[in-house]
Amino acid sequence: MRSRGGMLVATMVAGLGLGFTVTNIGFGDYAELNRMFTFQDLRMLLAFAGAVAIIVVAYAILRVRRSPARIHAGVIPGAVLFGTGWAISGGCPAIPIIQVASGYLPAIVTIAGVVVGIWLCRWANARYFQLDRGSCGL
Amino acid sequence: MSNYWPWWAGAIGLALVAVGFTLATNRFLGVSSAWDRVLHWRAERQIERQNALFADDRALAEMLAAATAEHFGAHPAAPPAPDAAREDTPPRGQEPGPTAGEGSQATSLRPAPLFTQAVLLLSIFVGGGIAAASAGRFDLRLDMGEGFSEIVTSNPITMVVLLFVGGVLVGFGTRLAGGCSSGHGLSGCGRLQPVSLLATAVFFGAAVVMSFLLWKVI
Repeated sequence: MRSRGGMLVATMVAGLGLGFTVTNIGFGDYAELNRMFTFQDLRMLLAFAGAVAIIVVAYAILRVRRSPARIHAGVIPGAVLFGTGWAISGGCPAIPIIQVASGYLPAIVTIAGVVVGIWLCRWANARYFQLDRGSCGL
Repeated sequence: MSNYWPWWAGAIGLALVAVGFTLATNRFLGVSSAWDRVLHWRAERQIERQNALFADDRALAEMLAAATAEHFGAHPAAPPAPDAAREDTPPRGQEPGPTAGEGSQATSLRPAPLFTQAVLLLSIFVGGGIAAASAGRFDLRLDMGEGFSEIVTSNPITMVVLLFVGGVLVGFGTRLAGGCSSGHGLSGCGRLQPVSLLATAVFFGAAVVMSFLLWKVI
């Protein structure tokens, strides 16, 4: 299914499924998130790790090829910033979207921050870092 | 808060989404890269146009080369590499696609069409709304919940500042690292990619440290 229409439907279904699942797991709930990151409640951690385990097996069975993506200089600093920001705001790039959809209006501010951060990163990368950061979507 | 899904249901749900998306589209799910491309839609649309143009250019060059070879009986010259227009956009377009081995190279190398990335973000919103409404959890409010008030701050101004700063860190960090919890965490770790395993371990570690600080110290 690589036609534009097929892509569109598949992406829509994936987005609906991701939003629905992530919300029902409780990733939009800051208390649940902090309990996961402080290991007081392993439920969400197990959901995530369990998903990774299933995906590893599924990709192995389906022979999905590994990407030759390299480890570049931006990975560790970027991940440190991301983890810190996630713990503070409770949002990874998808979570503030479902927070707003659940009625948490201040998450709009988180989204605004994410937007500014993404703009800043592309600008700073073009101007200063010049890293080939790769893309996770390919 | 016991009406959230048990861990196994969440695991199956997330895995179904990631694997289903890959099966259907021959690509990997990544939310931060969708954000990145939608926000830079002007540049991205230009790249799409150039790619479409290259497809035509390459076909034309190949036709010319074949005609030349036919005419002169010489070795056909290789069509020129279409690198010129990509020079100003180094981060995109050159990375080899992980599934390039399957199907036709040209199509699977291309990133997903730009408009589908906007659709992804919108449908995450709709999916989240359906989940919240159907679980009876939808609640329009001006704070981030009791957890945030207790652990981080109950002052609305501090809250707005922290959410914005946190958001900037998330946006900047995910794009610098090349992926977020879906791209590196699910899709990348699912392929056992070293870069994704490293990124996931580091962002998780950083979040653990910060969460303990917020919970116990600050």
